[in-house]
Amino acid sequence: MHLHKYEKIWLVFGIGSLVVFLLVLGFGAFWKGTHPQSHGQLIDPENIEANDAFKPENLGVTKVDDDKYIVNVVASAFNYDLGEDENGDPVKHIRIPKGATVLFQATTPDVIHGLNIAGTNVNMMVEPGYVSKIETEMNQAGEYTLVCNEYCGVGHHLMYATVEVYE
Amino acid sequence: MSLATQERKQPNNEEQPNLKGTLISVLILGTLIVVSWFGVYALFMMR
Repeated sequence: MHLHKYEKIWLVFGIGSLVVFLLVLGFGAFWKGTHPQSHGQLIDPENIEANDAFKPENLGVTKVDDDKYIVNVVASAFNYDLGEDENGDPVKHIRIPKGATVLFQATTPDVIHGLNIAGTNVNMMVEPGYVSKIETEMNQAGEYTLVCNEYCGVGHHLMYATVEVYE
Repeated sequence: MSLATQERKQPNNEEQPNLKGTLISVLILGTLIVVSWFGVYALFMMR
């Protein structure tokens, strides 16, 4: 088969890029353990409270150690359940100190939702039947919006809360 | 004789089309894609 000299150049460039891309992907998946956030941990969507993390008293921010926090969230149409404050009102504003390691755990009893803290790498799907987790370090102070980024129904735009990272 | 040589040369010239513009546009597109990969990676690391 005859190939033009220039064709050889862009074929090498294209196939080379593909090989690099697959190597990066393989390195992330097999050496670094990168995987989708709903990594096969199952939960009964009709009885999420059977899982300790999603019992009403365990929702919201829990401090587990110095600079280690867990945030448990139940996403449902059309609300993020982050627990209740001392007055019995739903929590819509959580505070985390700067530099802390935070493990976000989320699930849903109904439909697919998104869990995105806008402006950070916390961005995952929340699927019924699965527990989605992501661990991150909150290194930049500020107020972030926790927002649903998977269209989940007519009240989709009402699903948000605030995450404050304080100094 | 000179006419015969010319006739033989002509098909050869048609087999080598000028692909300079194609090469440049392919490389521009390829560079944009590679630059955007590094851009996304930098964004991921900074956040």
